[in-house]
Amino acid sequence: MDYCVITFASTNGAIQAQRYLKGEVPFQIMPVLREISKGCGISVRFDPPALEQVRNILADSDLAPEEYAFYGITGHSPNLRAEPLS
Amino acid sequence: MSRIIDAKGQACPKPVLMAKEAITAGENAFTVLVDNTTAVGNLQRLAGNQGFDVSVSEADGVYSLAFSRNGEAPVPQAPVAAAPCGAGYAVFVGRDIIGSGDRELGTNLMRMFFYTLAQSDDLPASILFMNAGVKLPAGDEQVEEHLKVLADKGVEIHVCGTCLNFYGITDKLAVGTVSNMYDIVSKMQEAAKVITV
Repeated sequence: MDYCVITFASTNGAIQAQRYLKGEVPFQIMPVLREISKGCGISVRFDPPALEQVRNILADSDLAPEEYAFYGITGHSPNLRAEPLS
Repeated sequence: MSRIIDAKGQACPKPVLMAKEAITAGENAFTVLVDNTTAVGNLQRLAGNQGFDVSVSEADGVYSLAFSRNGEAPVPQAPVAAAPCGAGYAVFVGRDIIGSGDRELGTNLMRMFFYTLAQSDDLPASILFMNAGVKLPAGDEQVEEHLKVLADKGVEIHVCGTCLNFYGITDKLAVGTVSNMYDIVSKMQEAAKVITV
């Protein structure tokens, strides 16, 4: 896995999540990968070692678990693999 | 004495078309007079493509380009008339968010714009930052990171010095060259198109 991304059910969720993560873990904003969704959206990218910490921060937040999803990304388009992280 | 083609005052792509006409007519040596650097650049590229050597001299704002055939085979290319003037594209960033409306959303869009641009294969020749746009290379960590990648790939990054000074963030500039209106306008003129973000 090269990096992790979080996708969100709504744009507001994506913006809200950044407020919780800011200052806690390094992350970047990126467009949702085409491999994950055809729609347009904001996702949050971070390094795999921070996964547990990010999970905990969002679990303690006001965001409901069904409002976001984690993916592990390996490789680059067109050979990119996006695996859901349960 | 070789023929002199006077293309002073002619708008792009006219000078190139006039030179092309002489080349097509089989002339081996001629001189083109123009009065702007964009035309000079375009004519130099034409010479390179058409198997000509060209030497440039300037006097009183008039550039004189002496063409001479060097025997190299012309590079096949699309007709000059169909080619855009200038080369490549420039990105002009005059604000620190994309669009008008919510600032937080606009910041996210701007970061995603540079994330995507840094990963693309079709890179701009230059990125030009003015007004609040200068806050991106001087304060937005994520955008700075993408700009460093772009700069490493050869993209010129020009940041308005007057604007950095106005916002009091000159010492925060993390990537790019402190630039001025002359350079920024000339980068726009050199580009085939300018995308304003």
